[in-house]
Amino acid sequence: MIFATGLICDSARGACGKGRPRVHFFFQELLNGLVLGSIYALVALGLALVYGTMGIPNFAHGHLYMFGAYAAFAAITVLHAPYWPAMILAVVCLAVLGAVVERVVFRPLRKAPEVNAIIAAIGLLFFLEAVARLIWGSDFRVLPTPYDKVVNLFGFIATQQQLIVIAAAFVLMGALFYFLKRTLLGSTIEAVAQSPAGASLVGIDADRVATLVFAISSGLAAAAATLIASISLIFPEMGFVVLLKAFAVIVLGGMGSIPGAIAGAFILAFAESFSAAYISTSYQDVVAFGLLVIILAIKPTGLFTRAT
Amino acid sequence: MLEVRGLTVRYGSADVLSNVDLTIGTGEVVTLLGSNGAGKTTLFCVLSGLVRPSAGTVTFMGEDLARMRAGRIVEHGIAQCPEGRKLFPQLSVEKNLMLGGYVHRRDRRAMKQSFESIIALFPALEAKLGAPAGSLSGGQQQMVAIGRALMARPKLLLLDEPSLGLAPLVLQQTLAAVAAINSTGTMVLLAEQNAYAALAIAHRGYVISDGRIVLEGTAAHLRQNDDVRRAFIGA
Repeated sequence: MIFATGLICDSARGACGKGRPRVHFFFQELLNGLVLGSIYALVALGLALVYGTMGIPNFAHGHLYMFGAYAAFAAITVLHAPYWPAMILAVVCLAVLGAVVERVVFRPLRKAPEVNAIIAAIGLLFFLEAVARLIWGSDFRVLPTPYDKVVNLFGFIATQQQLIVIAAAFVLMGALFYFLKRTLLGSTIEAVAQSPAGASLVGIDADRVATLVFAISSGLAAAAATLIASISLIFPEMGFVVLLKAFAVIVLGGMGSIPGAIAGAFILAFAESFSAAYISTSYQDVVAFGLLVIILAIKPTGLFTRAT
Repeated sequence: MLEVRGLTVRYGSADVLSNVDLTIGTGEVVTLLGSNGAGKTTLFCVLSGLVRPSAGTVTFMGEDLARMRAGRIVEHGIAQCPEGRKLFPQLSVEKNLMLGGYVHRRDRRAMKQSFESIIALFPALEAKLGAPAGSLSGGQQQMVAIGRALMARPKLLLLDEPSLGLAPLVLQQTLAAVAAINSTGTMVLLAEQNAYAALAIAHRGYVISDGRIVLEGTAAHLRQNDDVRRAFIGA
């Protein structure tokens, strides 16, 4: 596949080599799974947040992620911004774009049947892809990173960028969790999700919460895209692949559940990573989605009940 | 003071409220008696800014509420404890209460004072502060719902069917709490089907039927009224 897995696994597997002990090989795959799971989690968290709060399955989320990658790419190649300021710029740009999307596309459809929002999201998806193709063309691109050195970590081989992906993803997940659980503003998101009428009665503005949710969701997608774009590729259709995975993750975790999105992301990533390593890269999606089908057959509502 | 004049709410061609006049004076507890579907909850929704009136005026402390957003109305001093409570079931009791003071969130000292006064009013909640609101008994949830509304430091408290699903003893405790809230100067509009309980603490009352006010008077007057006794007290 074109998305992260192949590149991460192949490079790491090559470095690891067949002569290494099996236990090292296992932990190497664990590391690859962690990298992939970190990205899935950041993307799926945004999707779960929007669905859990507003009931919108945002099919354009993958394309907002794609725009995040291009925003970082433009910041580095056109503005010559260093890596971290480029990421911050991409996150801010996508947060603003997410807020605009909520205001212009989804808010007018708030009281319309759910299918209208779904169709609008699909329309937005194609619009964003067309705009990206118009600006950046259809070529594959790689985000330049200063963190391209290979490090040996207790005998395991990883690139600096892989370690940054994991660390940054966990910092962002921790920050989101803190915001939702420990701040009054974050609690308003959960309040609107659990009782919109109750939220209105205490003076919470549901429109502002919706804008905030879309901004956070899109910002997280931009962060994920910037993190992975240095070890993967940037291209206009990259949103489709990640969207499919992110939806699988939130269905697996329980629609709208934040802990479920995190757990689902790592389950899917480890399933892909280990099946690619121990069976074949050709079967990694078969195993991962097979596992999804089995888990849903046993627990149709997903692993976690909705917690937001 | 709250003054409602000629209030009409129309859904399609049907008038849910029709030419309603109602006033609440400073320090009063006013009850709104009516059966299911009479229009009590719609009137409350208008007063909270959730439903826009088709005609008529609603003024509170001299300001027109009819076009005001819900959040602005809470800031202006009207808080509602709705029918069915509408709590945030998975959030803790403490968070439910703190969210009640959302419009005053920048005044942390005042929020802390309000929180402490609510715990003093409902001491049973102190041991439950960390529990999800949805896990509490009906009576305790009612305390959280009233407490959440009080966190907004309202001048007028709207209570919609607080007796719903409560055991008689718990209802007595709830109404005693309402009387205590009123003793601090807070106006109360109490919508109830349980007229016996509501008239026990109200100064005045209105009877609403099919979206129209059909009777009004002092609590003593309504308690003696044969129609009220037949329809709501069962005597």
